Amino acid sequence: MAFAAVSEKYSGKMRELEIGSGDKKVVVGGQASMPFCSFDGDLGNKPVVAMEVYDVVDPEWPAAVVDPFKDVINDPIAWAKKDVEEYGAKMICLQLASTDPNGENRDADYAADLVKKVAEAISVPLMVWGSGNVEKDGEVLAKVCEACEGMNLLIGPAVEENYKKIAANALGYGHAVVSQSPIDVNMAKQMNILIGNLGLPLEKIIMEPSTGALGYGVEYTYSVMERISLAALAQNDEKMQCPIINDMGKECWKSREVKLTDKEEPSFGPDIEKRGVLWEAMTAVDMLLSGANVLIMRNPHAVKLTEEIIDELM
Amino acid sequence: MPEPIHQVTFQPDNITVDVYRHGENLLRVAMAAGVHINASCGGNGTCGKCKVIIDQGKVESEHSAKISDEQWEQGYRLACRTKVIDDLIITIPPESRIDNSALKRKTGGQRHILKARDLNTLVQGLTINPAVFKCYLELPPPTADDNMSDLGRLMREIKRAYKYDHISTDFHLLRRLSRVLRQAEWKVTVTLVYNPKGFKLIDLEAGDTTKDNYSIIIDVGTTTVKGQLLNLEECRIAHSNANGTDADNENLCAEDAKYNSQVRFGEDVISRIVHSQKKGGLEELQQAIVGDINDIITQLLKSADIRDDQISHLVIAGNTTMTQLLLGVDPKYIREDPYVPTANFFPPVRAVEIGIKLPDYIHLYVFPQVSSYVGGDIVAGVLGSGIFQREELTLFIDVGTNGEIVLGNADWLVCTSCSAGPAFEGGGVKNGMRAAAGAIEQVRINPETYEPMVITIGSQKTMGICGSGLIDAAAELLLTGIIEPNGKFKRDLDTDRVREGENGWEYVLVYADQTASGIGDVVITEGDLDNLIRTKGAIYAGCRILLESVGLSFADLDKLIIAGGFGQFINLERAITIGLLPEIEPEKFLFVGNGALLGSRLVSFSREMMKDARRVADMMTNIELANNMKFMDEYVAALFLPHTDTAAFPGVMKILKGSG
Repeated sequence: MAFAAVSEKYSGKMRELEIGSGDKKVVVGGQASMPFCSFDGDLGNKPVVAMEVYDVVDPEWPAAVVDPFKDVINDPIAWAKKDVEEYGAKMICLQLASTDPNGENRDADYAADLVKKVAEAISVPLMVWGSGNVEKDGEVLAKVCEACEGMNLLIGPAVEENYKKIAANALGYGHAVVSQSPIDVNMAKQMNILIGNLGLPLEKIIMEPSTGALGYGVEYTYSVMERISLAALAQNDEKMQCPIINDMGKECWKSREVKLTDKEEPSFGPDIEKRGVLWEAMTAVDMLLSGANVLIMRNPHAVKLTEEIIDELM
Repeated sequence: MPEPIHQVTFQPDNITVDVYRHGENLLRVAMAAGVHINASCGGNGTCGKCKVIIDQGKVESEHSAKISDEQWEQGYRLACRTKVIDDLIITIPPESRIDNSALKRKTGGQRHILKARDLNTLVQGLTINPAVFKCYLELPPPTADDNMSDLGRLMREIKRAYKYDHISTDFHLLRRLSRVLRQAEWKVTVTLVYNPKGFKLIDLEAGDTTKDNYSIIIDVGTTTVKGQLLNLEECRIAHSNANGTDADNENLCAEDAKYNSQVRFGEDVISRIVHSQKKGGLEELQQAIVGDINDIITQLLKSADIRDDQISHLVIAGNTTMTQLLLGVDPKYIREDPYVPTANFFPPVRAVEIGIKLPDYIHLYVFPQVSSYVGGDIVAGVLGSGIFQREELTLFIDVGTNGEIVLGNADWLVCTSCSAGPAFEGGGVKNGMRAAAGAIEQVRINPETYEPMVITIGSQKTMGICGSGLIDAAAELLLTGIIEPNGKFKRDLDTDRVREGENGWEYVLVYADQTASGIGDVVITEGDLDNLIRTKGAIYAGCRILLESVGLSFADLDKLIIAGGFGQFINLERAITIGLLPEIEPEKFLFVGNGALLGSRLVSFSREMMKDARRVADMMTNIELANNMKFMDEYVAALFLPHTDTAAFPGVMKILKGSG
């Protein structure tokens, strides 16, 4: 008897999400199979890596992620341009770290102005990320939505405490939203329902399941993402069919392993840069294998390595 | 179904509803019909907002100061102070509706109110022969020829007159036996106790006291302790000529309840066990609960006007931890893996020995336990609801501080327990209280004005809100869109009732001017809703896991029995709306009220039931959720209104979409 390969047939399909508008548009998601299982179904659009740009950089950053941007590190607009023009970034994620009330506490008007300038300066779609302070993010991101009306930016993260303000403004001014939940498949679904109840269509939502770096809970993220994917594909749960994004760069580059020198930990070896790059790329591959559609990354070499792996697998 | 006695039609909605009880309260009739009338004082006549106009038919009504003489002439009455004694046509005037617009939500139609009934009918073949009973005897005095010992003489007469043989004797009785027999001139009443090993003589009284045979039954809950006084003598009479009358109600002489004073050492069983491990902790806890039981017994005797020597029997049902704490048995290992209790069957113990203030002949019957977290209260509930006798696949849920769940039928029973929290008994809820007079038990909220319609138990001034009121309130807040499915308030609604209070955002159910003095505004807060959601989530998740463990789902159930201290009834639709209960056919639900007392009553009335209690406890297979990985997952999925799995609640989702 001839060999017949077994293939899974799924009743569901991930939605496609458009980020950006006009010639700056990128489409993600749309897969009808588990990651890279092309023998089971359509893989949809290629996962996209978004490169991070910070409006203020933490002095604790290791050299591996400072050196590539040394010339532009105090100028987010130039930094974004460099990412696109020199490192070939397909998307930019502007991290509004300076708006954090526990840090520089810059106001919403500053942020809105900066976002608009960055968006206009680059030829790829833009994603805007708040500082993580739920109250301030609501205020800042609402303003960003308004200032960038019609640009279809990706705005986030919207969490249970501030989703109303962010999602309502995204809806009003034509943007997509990152729905973030605390590493639980059911809570991810609940956030989508809550945001959906505000009137924002599920076609405008991407899920951030809370990301842990390699060695820092990556397996939890992996499990949750795999379960989201299975609920979306196998159970055809429409509330779970939003694509997935991982805010992983900042998690990788604060880990102990990318910062320790070989003097402090001889067994790690002397090549601290390579270690960091691989740490980030490995985390990225884990996320891709469990269903990521968009990755937010920091080091240009790690980004390149990850994109090569994506190209080989698809 | 009983025949309706009257019909009431409400205008301008033109909704007609059947009334089954002569003299039913008009506000309650409106509530049952789904007709909104403003009522902010709970139905005690003080707010004067529930004015209606009687267009046709006769009513009995108090003339309230809130109604002018002129209005009275025009037929205005306060609905909450009006009894239905005739077919009626009622108009709800605009001021009682706040606006004239018709309600968006569909009114009328079949409503399913689950009432707690005294359900001896649930158990088949109940023979009335109390385990503790009295026999009157007239003995021949001893003579030179008939010089048998006093005890032998007594036994001989019991055997001759009542055919009871091989009776053991309580030692304490012997010390006064001879004196009592002679003082009574050989006319005495004996109290015998049945147990599986035979009969035991426990008391001897002068004269004929067979009429004085009472039993006290107590439900020792983690949060609430409840007691009832039963007339064992009359239950026999009532049942032998019962013609559809509810025998129980006649035998229930008195009822009392209070919070378990162990609460000050911790709200749940785990913190109580932790406290028991401190120096003197076990004694403290034991004395606290014995004190509560003594208070309840004193109150019961007082309200029924009965002496303690008229009591023959004491039955107690409690969860495993409560039972061990009451008996002073160290509960340490209940909370340590692999969670084993000291004993499932405790031998009868003299009540005085553990400090209960009753005559020394009274023995305490403790319901057998199944496992560390499924205790005698659940065995009592399973017994009382007759699950163990039927072929129908039944799910039994007892909602207390722990939610215990039993699944099965006459052939097999599996059970589990999940930590639910005391929300339905008023714990962890800002204005929460037990289901007692003054507790809000029903709530409706007008979807356009957000004004509430509340009814309290006994139509008293509002003291707080009980379990059934909480279910109603949460469901109404959701249906009217005042809260989101995650239990958080919408903050931009056009109403003063949603506001930021000292405990965060809240909805005012009753303003301070309409509540009992010292209570202040009665509100429901986001924190209350969180607790409620956690409670209902744990119970629903526990049900799902238990069903799944035997390869079944809610759809396979023939019957779903709910027990617990919610109040007198739960509104089924509202309980389903918040996802406490699954969306299955309404006919399959049955609400039995307090399951522990239900079973305790049967055991008091019937010695066969005592045997069955043991059998039920032996039959139940316990499934431990503590080790179940899926439970946490199901639990988080249930922390949403009605549920993250919206496909399991198609009816609720349809209503929510329609009202949103």
